[in-house]
Amino acid sequence: MLNDDVHLRDEELLRFADGELASRRRARAREHLAACWDCRARMAELEKTIVSFVHLHHDSFDGRIPPASGPRSVLKARLDAARNSADEPQSRAGDFWGRGSKLAGLHHVQLYAALLLLALGLGLFVHQERVLERRQAGLAGIRPIPDRSLTPGETRPVGWTDICASEQSDLDPAVPSSIQRSVFREYGMDGAPTKDYEVDYLIAPQLGGTADLRNLWPEPYSSTIWNAHVKDALEDRLHQLVCQQQIDLATAQRELSTDWISAYKKYFHSEKPVQGSS
Amino acid sequence: MPFQARESAVELWISEANGRSEEALLSLEQEIVGLFDEMRNRLLRYALSFGLSIPDGEDILQEVFLALFHHLRQGRSRANLRGWVFRVTHNLALKRRSANQRSPELAEADGAAEPCDPAPGAEEQLLIGERRLRLLAVLRALPETDERCLRLRAEGLRYREIAQVLGISLGAVSISLARSLARLERAEMR
Repeated sequence: MLNDDVHLRDEELLRFADGELASRRRARAREHLAACWDCRARMAELEKTIVSFVHLHHDSFDGRIPPASGPRSVLKARLDAARNSADEPQSRAGDFWGRGSKLAGLHHVQLYAALLLLALGLGLFVHQERVLERRQAGLAGIRPIPDRSLTPGETRPVGWTDICASEQSDLDPAVPSSIQRSVFREYGMDGAPTKDYEVDYLIAPQLGGTADLRNLWPEPYSSTIWNAHVKDALEDRLHQLVCQQQIDLATAQRELSTDWISAYKKYFHSEKPVQGSS
Repeated sequence: MPFQARESAVELWISEANGRSEEALLSLEQEIVGLFDEMRNRLLRYALSFGLSIPDGEDILQEVFLALFHHLRQGRSRANLRGWVFRVTHNLALKRRSANQRSPELAEADGAAEPCDPAPGAEEQLLIGERRLRLLAVLRALPETDERCLRLRAEGLRYREIAQVLGISLGAVSISLARSLARLERAEMR
C-alpha cells in the first residue's frame, strides 16, 4: 500500500521503474518520488545494481554465441521438411473437410468425382516425378559425386586451431586454370563448357583440403539440384560444426569425401537442398 | 449443371484450397524464421544460463521454433508468442539439464562443449575483477526461481510473462526481483 508519509519499498520502486504499477498507484508513486530525495536516491541505487546485473548477464554469454546463419539454415530446412511431412496431407485434408459447411451440401457423386480427380492427379504427379528422376539419372557424366578413383580427397596436416582459431583470408581459393585443365582432362571432359562447372575441392580448403588433383573434380553448377552452391553451403555448415566442437575435423573431412549429398541431408535435416543454398 | 462442369468446379475449388493452404504454410514458415532472427540470441542466452553447452542450447532452440510452427499451424492461440517461446525454452532447458545431470558421460560423448558460465578460472578472475566475482557468487547462490526471474527480466519479459513462464504469481515475481537485487547490491558494496 502506498502512503505519502512512508517511503516506497524496493518492490514498489522496482514496479514503478518497470512500468508494472497500476495507473492510480503509479501516479501516487510518481508524486511521492517528486517530493522524496531518499526514495530517488534508493531508486538510483537499484538502477545501478540492475545495470551491473545486465552487464554480467550479457558478458557471461554474448562472446560465446556463434553467428545465427548456420542454425537459421538448419531451422529453415527442418521447417521445410515439416511443411512437406507425411502428416501434412492429413492436416490439409482436415482443412479440406473442415470447410464442411461448403462440402456437406454436395451430393455424394460430386464427392466421389472429387476423390477420383485427386487420385488421378496423384497418379499423374507420381508419373511425372518418375519421368523427371529418369531424366536426371540419364544426364550422362553429370553426377554430382566425383569419381572416387580419380578424386578420393586429399588433406593437408592441419588441426582445430589452424581451421578455427586463425583467420583464413580466402576460404575457397580459385584453382589455377592450368590445374583446372588437368582436372577436365583427367575426367575425359576436354572441350566441355567450363562455365557450367566449378573445378571444386572435394574436401574444402577451409576444412584442410588441398589443391591437389586427387582433391579436385569438375562439379556441375546447375545440371542437378545437388550442385556446387549446395555443396558450398554444406562446407560452411561443417566448418561451423567443427569450430563449435560438435564434430571433429576428421569426421567433417570424411563426410565430404565419402558422400557429400548424404552428409548434406544429415546436417541440414532435409532430403533436398534448402532454399537459398542452391 | 452438367456432370463435367461440376467436376471442373470441384477440381478448381480443391486446387484453390490447396494453393491457399500452401501459401499460408509458406508464409507461416517465413514468420517463424523472422521470429527466430528476432529472438534467437535472447533465447539462447536464457538457455545457456541453465549451465548448458552451446550445442545443447542451439538444439533446444530448434525444437522450440519447430514446436511454434506446429502450434500455429494447428491454429492455436497467437496471444503473447514471446512468452510462449520463453516458456517452451525454459521447460526444454530444465529437461535437458536434468538429462545431462543423469548421464554426464552421454553429454560428453555427444561432443558437447563445456557448459557456459562455468566457474571462472584464475586468469578469468583477474580479468573480470573482484566485484563481478562477488556478483557471480551471489547469483549462483540465489534460489533457482529468483535467478530465473532476474534472467527473464534482463531478456525484456514483463512481470506477467515471467509469471507465466515460471508458473508463479505476479506478486511473487516482483518480490523475487526486489529480493535478488538487494542481495546483488549487498555483494557489490562489500
